[in-house]
Amino acid sequence: MAEPKKKRITDIGPPSYENFLPPIIKKNYGKWKYHEIIKPGVLMHVSESGDKLYSVRAATPRLAATDTIRLFAQIADEFCDGFLRYTSRNNVEFLITDEKKVEPCIAKLKKEGYPVGGMGNSITNIVHTQGWVHCHSAATDASGVVKCVMDELFPYFESMKLPAKLRIAFACCLNMCGAVHCSDIALLGVHIKPPVVSHDTLPAQCEIPTTVSACPTGAVRTATVDGKPSVEIVEEQCMFCANCFTVCPSIKLNNPTDGLSVWVGGKVSNARHEPMFSKLAIPYIPNEPPRWPTVVKSVKNIVEVYAKNARKFERMGEWIERIGWPKFFELTEIPFTKYHIDDFTHAGESFRRSVYFRQSDVRE
Amino acid sequence: MGDEVTVSTVAEAMYEMVKQYHGKKNLKAMDLTKAMIEKFGGDNCDKQLCKQAIRELIDSGRCTYSYVGGSYIVLPPT
Amino acid sequence: MAAKLRETPLIDELLKGPWPSFVKEIKKCAQNEKNERGSARSNDLLGVLERSYKETIGHWKHGGIVGVMGYGGGVIGRYNDLPEEFPNVAHFHTIRVNQPSGWFYTSDILRKLCDIWDKHGSGITNMHGSTGDIVFLGCATDDLEPTFADLTALGFDLGGSGSAVRTPSCCCGMARCEWACYDTMALTDDLTRTFQDELHRPAFPYKFKFKMSGCPNDCVASIARADMSIIGTWRDDIQIDQKAVADYASKLNLENDVISRCPTKCMSWDGKKLSIDNSNCVKCMHCINAMPKALAPGKDRGATILLGSKAPIIGGALLSSVIVPFLKIEPPYEDIKELAEAIWDLWAEHGKNRERVGEFIQRIGMGNFLEQIGLEPRPEMVINPRSNPYIFYDQDQE
Repeated sequence: MAEPKKKRITDIGPPSYENFLPPIIKKNYGKWKYHEIIKPGVLMHVSESGDKLYSVRAATPRLAATDTIRLFAQIADEFCDGFLRYTSRNNVEFLITDEKKVEPCIAKLKKEGYPVGGMGNSITNIVHTQGWVHCHSAATDASGVVKCVMDELFPYFESMKLPAKLRIAFACCLNMCGAVHCSDIALLGVHIKPPVVSHDTLPAQCEIPTTVSACPTGAVRTATVDGKPSVEIVEEQCMFCANCFTVCPSIKLNNPTDGLSVWVGGKVSNARHEPMFSKLAIPYIPNEPPRWPTVVKSVKNIVEVYAKNARKFERMGEWIERIGWPKFFELTEIPFTKYHIDDFTHAGESFRRSVYFRQSDVRE
Repeated sequence: MGDEVTVSTVAEAMYEMVKQYHGKKNLKAMDLTKAMIEKFGGDNCDKQLCKQAIRELIDSGRCTYSYVGGSYIVLPPT
Repeated sequence: MAAKLRETPLIDELLKGPWPSFVKEIKKCAQNEKNERGSARSNDLLGVLERSYKETIGHWKHGGIVGVMGYGGGVIGRYNDLPEEFPNVAHFHTIRVNQPSGWFYTSDILRKLCDIWDKHGSGITNMHGSTGDIVFLGCATDDLEPTFADLTALGFDLGGSGSAVRTPSCCCGMARCEWACYDTMALTDDLTRTFQDELHRPAFPYKFKFKMSGCPNDCVASIARADMSIIGTWRDDIQIDQKAVADYASKLNLENDVISRCPTKCMSWDGKKLSIDNSNCVKCMHCINAMPKALAPGKDRGATILLGSKAPIIGGALLSSVIVPFLKIEPPYEDIKELAEAIWDLWAEHGKNRERVGEFIQRIGMGNFLEQIGLEPRPEMVINPRSNPYIFYDQDQE
């Protein structure tokens, strides 16, 4: 049955955030005085008016069933008049005004399997990408590795015993939808084999000049294959960035040999030290589903060495800067290889051009 | 110069261009805009007019957006 | 009745352990009896994922012409490469739903969003996607328009994708943080509304992201993830409550934990009084973070605007760099909007395909870029002046 044609609504933007703020926030907007973490996973914000807001932070796996969102809605109804928010790192926060409801809310969340924590000097949720669940260019799974790493680092989520906060991020390829390049520990999916060109589909699927110019190193060149226009890959020049694949689906880079790399020492906050990029620690670990034992072991090792050696307030990158990279590789027992030395644009900026280093670190 | 250049005139010229390049080169909004300003002259056709023309083409369904590592304006799939 | 769950011994290993399991979430959707079509999709997704775990390779394809009428963004085309085996996920697109600023929700609005997604899709979401959107994962092509109609009827719209303004996002700012130096949520909401056309109808060389952080702690990683990073800061003196400082002195080692950690060594403590040489403060936030009850950012608040951060593709990763050292952030935000539009005008015309603003600036030179958008060079923009003598002197100079 034909419905009367309704006017199509477009370009209205999101609903105003003001619709969703609890009364205590509306009242104290811009008037907060200070905050304290009263226990792991619970923030108390105190307003100039003396009002107190308790935020209980629980982990989510980011990928959430509508039934789980409904569960959070129900918990919000039960403990906080229906008000909640999500954080930039995929945690959910229940906004409680009645202090007596804090503990029951925590108990309920834990019972349902959503642990409370991730505040202060802890390891909070890992921001991550889609991986094999939904991505075309994933060199590894995302959610699965995150799950395994957090299972192992779980005590650090529920406590605040690290020298400083430790942020882990995960991206399943160099596109870095998770922009992981400024994290204390970054896990990054990598391709290690040159792409395979499907010459049959390429002329229909891809625009050759765009594909050629997509390559940052000039490794993609025009070619004629069986009388048809196509491209070829100069394999020695390929650095496996997958940019050609993004503009041309006929150039396939995904390969069972794909794996992961580990990067350390990045940060985005300005506290004590300017923001820093993460630097390469481990160039390649093969994909080991379903539980990724080597990645898990490697990350845990880095976390434990950091926890043991860093000073109070020192983020991973600050600690490494203080002790020097040779010492980092010595303490973590991670082998230093030719892959650790940059050879892309501006590579020379990271070469040491002085004798300003600790000779004691030089071992046979 | 002759008649005033309207949104529809530009949209029509853009459509012809998309048809002409179909299967050869994907065009971005700015490719069309630059070509139209060249064709009609900067005094008769500006970026704003081109923006309106693109919207007319897309909203009418004569052209559609496509994504291959970047956003392009193409003919709808047949 | 929901179909029998596919057998997935490998990914079932991910049901174990204390961390919440995404496999459990997909299984919840696959067993949702109220959503028969959606549960079949989620069940096939389990099968595809199990296959990837067995073969250590992904099974998704991207791109193409898919979206809602009139928009060039908000929907990401996704197709499975094993459609015969997993027909229910043959097309399994992503819908980006623009989140309200600061990710605040009521239980009521979340339920209504869930109702829409249970009616039309798989029931699988991401809360939230990397850019900040609510992500509906797994929509068939035919369901896109009906989903969109229901979303707009509820007051929601799609976020950005492709070569366009991407969904702006921000920290919770003044809603729940005493350090917010400007109203991040209000600015984010305003920019999102102002630039709906730029968000939905891609007209740029590549993506353009705004991220609003209320203070230099930068909780939304604006410095690393936004083409335009707007980071709160202040110009006057850090506010000190000396009595509260004295209280901290009994809990913290002020000298080791605070004074000596100051990057410019602009603080001192004589056992009774904390002194700060504010003219040398670089607004790092450490002392304020360490003693939130005693110290607070100054009262003359605003933001630093930085440009150009991005992930590695194509020319390497960048952090944003300073373009406006200090700006008062007040509605209607005309100065920020004019700056953004001036940048887009220049970059849209001269940028190469897939070239982000940060790369564009490096290619044409910051000096040229500033001239073109009408900003004066300032020493705050650089760590140091150039050390090489290869200067492109203007030829029209006397």
